[in-house]
Amino acid sequence: MSWTNHLPALVVAVPLFGAFGAPLVSLGGRVARNVWFLFFAAFSAFLSLLLWQHVVLSGTMVYVMGGSAWNIPLPSGMSLPVRILLEVDSFGALLALIGGICAFAGALFSLKFMEKFTGLDKYTALYLLLLSGMQGMVLTGDLFNLFVFIEIASVASFGLVVFWRDRPEAVEAGFKYMVVSTVGVMFILLAVAFLYGRYNVVNMAALGANLQYGLPEKVALIFLVVALAMKCGSVPMHMWTPDAYAEAPAAVTCLLVAVSQASLYALFRICFSVYGLSMGSSAVAWAIIVLGCLSMFVGVSMAVIQKEIKRLMAYHSVSQVGYILLGLGVGLLALGNPQEMNAYGMTAIKGGIYHLFNYAMYKPLLFLCAGALFYAAKSRNLNSLGGLARKMPYTTVLFLLAAAAIAGLPPFNGYVSKLLIYESSFAVHPILPVIAMVTSMLTLASFVKVFQTAFLGPEKEALSQVREVPQSMILGMGLLALVILGLSLFPSWSLDHLITPAAEALVDKASYVGAVLGGGF
Amino acid sequence: MCTTVMTGYGFWNVFSWLTFFVLITALILWFRSQGRSDYKEDSLQDEIFYGGNPVPSDGAEITVPASSAYWGFKKALHGFYTLLDSWHSGIATDYVAWFVFTVAIFALLLVF
Amino acid sequence: MIGNLPYIVVGLLFTYGLFAVIFERNLIKIAVGITVLESAVNLLLIVYGYRSGGNIPVFTLAGEGSSFVLPTPQALTLTAIVIGLATSALLLSIIMVLYRHYGTLDVREIRRLRG
Repeated sequence: MSWTNHLPALVVAVPLFGAFGAPLVSLGGRVARNVWFLFFAAFSAFLSLLLWQHVVLSGTMVYVMGGSAWNIPLPSGMSLPVRILLEVDSFGALLALIGGICAFAGALFSLKFMEKFTGLDKYTALYLLLLSGMQGMVLTGDLFNLFVFIEIASVASFGLVVFWRDRPEAVEAGFKYMVVSTVGVMFILLAVAFLYGRYNVVNMAALGANLQYGLPEKVALIFLVVALAMKCGSVPMHMWTPDAYAEAPAAVTCLLVAVSQASLYALFRICFSVYGLSMGSSAVAWAIIVLGCLSMFVGVSMAVIQKEIKRLMAYHSVSQVGYILLGLGVGLLALGNPQEMNAYGMTAIKGGIYHLFNYAMYKPLLFLCAGALFYAAKSRNLNSLGGLARKMPYTTVLFLLAAAAIAGLPPFNGYVSKLLIYESSFAVHPILPVIAMVTSMLTLASFVKVFQTAFLGPEKEALSQVREVPQSMILGMGLLALVILGLSLFPSWSLDHLITPAAEALVDKASYVGAVLGGGF
Repeated sequence: MCTTVMTGYGFWNVFSWLTFFVLITALILWFRSQGRSDYKEDSLQDEIFYGGNPVPSDGAEITVPASSAYWGFKKALHGFYTLLDSWHSGIATDYVAWFVFTVAIFALLLVF
Repeated sequence: MIGNLPYIVVGLLFTYGLFAVIFERNLIKIAVGITVLESAVNLLLIVYGYRSGGNIPVFTLAGEGSSFVLPTPQALTLTAIVIGLATSALLLSIIMVLYRHYGTLDVREIRRLRG
């Protein structure tokens, strides 16, 4: 029994241990805390990379917490699934990898970014706890465990959003985030309770095997879809996103973006693997497509007129999530029909997942650049920034890279995933790529505005003391930029080796269920 | 080739695009370098024209602020933006109301 | 009909909590509304575990009873109660800090971040 069998549990447990050890280690001073923080973020990222490699080579991994068998054979011959499972297929492993990379970049960035503030031992603990909760969300095979990890990640992120608590806006943002998030999570628990009451199991694979689409299941699906769409910031439940993302410290926003992707993972795991084809009609798929189009359009319309840089980027977050919802909604629409699946369904799912990966790389980079601007120029208001490209060349280049990626300009990775989404959604209805392209144009417009006002233009006297940000912050941003460049220059490698296994694992409900139930369902 | 993405309807090749970009950039830079023969660098021809007034030394006085970028866009879509502003009221309980409203709409569409 | 009473109570509690969160102005009342929501869902989980005529699901009493109520939803509910406790504690402390900054507990006044 080699240690790699324990990788799923390690990916969740290692940051958890780091989180609880952080206050103790901080007693040893600033350097000890920074070393602990960086070591655990790097080690978690490395473990998630190992896990991804293992899953892609050996197939879906099932890890039973604390026991040997996942079930109890009853005297009647039936097997009752009773233990908490972690079930990792390629899609979950890809998201764990994304989380690891974002967390490591954010940790590198926050070493210098946060050094002037007190309470950093609690910051480290909460950050590693948020990472642990996020990894748990994407690796779990059990609906109630999903609820618990969503709550762990949410409560850690509430604490982090309110971190600068001498700022009234930050506390207000944290309060609004908390109220909406807690109500949403209660709806998730209600849905889990409905499903438990019907089937006496909370295990996702067992539910997927036994689900019959009656009224309680429909209601549970509605609650789950709407609450998880709220957690990732889709219109019309997105209003907490600009407040929370803007007021959190930049490195925390970097990880919050990854957490919203984990909620998207949970949404699609439920739609494809728990419900799957038992959904019958295409109403849910069309509802997700409509949510996606609304998110794209409302998000970017609000973003164009913003004055504060992080609030603008948070509205773009909302609209990019709309793209992913559109891609995966189109895939869900084509799910039952193998002909349509071949024609545009798999392209849509691949486009959606690729966009998820790209978004989780360029969006944190954008937030980290905004954090660098805040660190250097002490302001987030675009009216007071200007002419900073002379003083901050590295930040300018990294920002340009990320802005070109988000706007979908060739040759960057944003273009490739948007191309896949445009082409597949065109096959469903021509208006969908029209909305997507208008959104893309408005995205480009707002980033031209940000680049022009923050970096170009004449030098301002008030900003004459601005210097480039420290090396460790550039390193953190550079890591994400490296991944973006890698995805841009080798798109077909990334599609074939990263995204296609994930897309196939998502669509293949039988293998997800069979990995746990052993094919006898 | 390991860098070509075949979508269902076409293809995308990064290096072809980059080659095209480099060639066109070279062409543009060559055009740009064909200047006028009567241009002298760092002379009066390089000064900013500020309507005949002395140019302010502080750059902050000659920048167009970010709030006035896209003002025409916002003015043209005034009705739409008034509607959106009423949605994003800033009141925390209204956000929860939007959430419950969405659940209700989904329930209406999917259950009936 | 009388057997459905627990579910009706859960529905009423959940609706009551939701009304409190959406229509109340005082921040503390919103926090109380969230607590009522959590209680409603926890009650639902417990109710789903009930088996009529069942005993408490303790292993050492196995000789006495013939049927148990299910222990799993009790474990789920305990977890959910603890999570609700942590969330309420954090929510109330955020409300305290918010009062210190804004001087008011009216949710319609706390609107500096809008648009």
